[in-house]
Amino acid sequence: VTVPPTPGMPPGPPGHGGRGWPVASLDPIGRARVLAATVPSAAWTEGVLDAPYDATWAWVSDLERSVPLFDTDVRRLRVTSRSDEADALRLRVVATSFGIPVPFDVRLEDGFCLMRAVARIFLVVMAAVPEDGGQRTRFFHMEAVPLPGTASVRRRLQRAVEADFANLSRIAADL
Amino acid sequence: VGVEQLVRAAQRGDPAAMDALVRALAPYVGRICGAIALERGDDAMQETFIAVLRNVRALREPAALHGWVRRIAVREAVRAASGTATPFPAGVEPPPLDPVDVASALDVRTVLASLAPEHRAVLVLRDIDGLSEREVAGVLGVPEGTVKSRLHRARAAFARRWGQ
Repeated sequence: VTVPPTPGMPPGPPGHGGRGWPVASLDPIGRARVLAATVPSAAWTEGVLDAPYDATWAWVSDLERSVPLFDTDVRRLRVTSRSDEADALRLRVVATSFGIPVPFDVRLEDGFCLMRAVARIFLVVMAAVPEDGGQRTRFFHMEAVPLPGTASVRRRLQRAVEADFANLSRIAADL
Repeated sequence: VGVEQLVRAAQRGDPAAMDALVRALAPYVGRICGAIALERGDDAMQETFIAVLRNVRALREPAALHGWVRRIAVREAVRAASGTATPFPAGVEPPPLDPVDVASALDVRTVLASLAPEHRAVLVLRDIDGLSEREVAGVLGVPEGTVKSRLHRARAAFARRWGQ
């Protein structure tokens, strides 16, 4: 919980519109946890990578390079279009998995990446926040088949995200 | 994309819309959860959004989103705050505060922390959200008289602090 500064406006008593009152926040990992708790079949893993946050997220954000290295189900990923929004980068990417090219819409922010298959059959979420003053990185990785009746695939997805996280941990050690 | 469209898409289970709805509602939910749950505000906010997205299909009229989310946020914030040690239980008048320096006297958080979560909820809904006492009673599911007495106690605590 943080108390946002209001320049020139000291905190006021009730009746002053709540200026200076404590405001809660939801960091990128909180957002990812909300999706993990509400999207059908979501499998996820969360842990701390032994690498600085800035270096880790810069590496992860380079999706063409990073995803094929840590996700063994993805052989190749290509960015086919990109556009800047006020608070995010929007990408269209094509990930080749088991020989099949799958287009994804991507929302990429500082510490948060949501990749949704255009056909809406697959979802990937990655989120990160600084740990230990930014010297390490708390990382959250989630995959899901966001369709009703897909709970049975969760175990398979869980193995996949845990394998991905293990790969990330090894890679992070060299960042 | 309007909030109404986001609600419809979230009801269809679109994860991107679910996340967009969370981002759209975060400033409002953050104010409610922060003021009521204090240091547990972040947890309350996360639980609020889990409850919102799990139940969003039950929201028949997207125009009612704001009030519906408000009820959930207040409930989750009071629940989160009640899980911690509360200095003074609801209905018990907090003792006079010790004299403090000017900086501390302006510390809203200090005063809020001296109140029970239920009293903080009344303050938030009345003074941040601008609801009438009757509307506050409806959100909290308590009689209007209870709202009046809680509001009186909460404001008295602030008045003592600011009156020094």
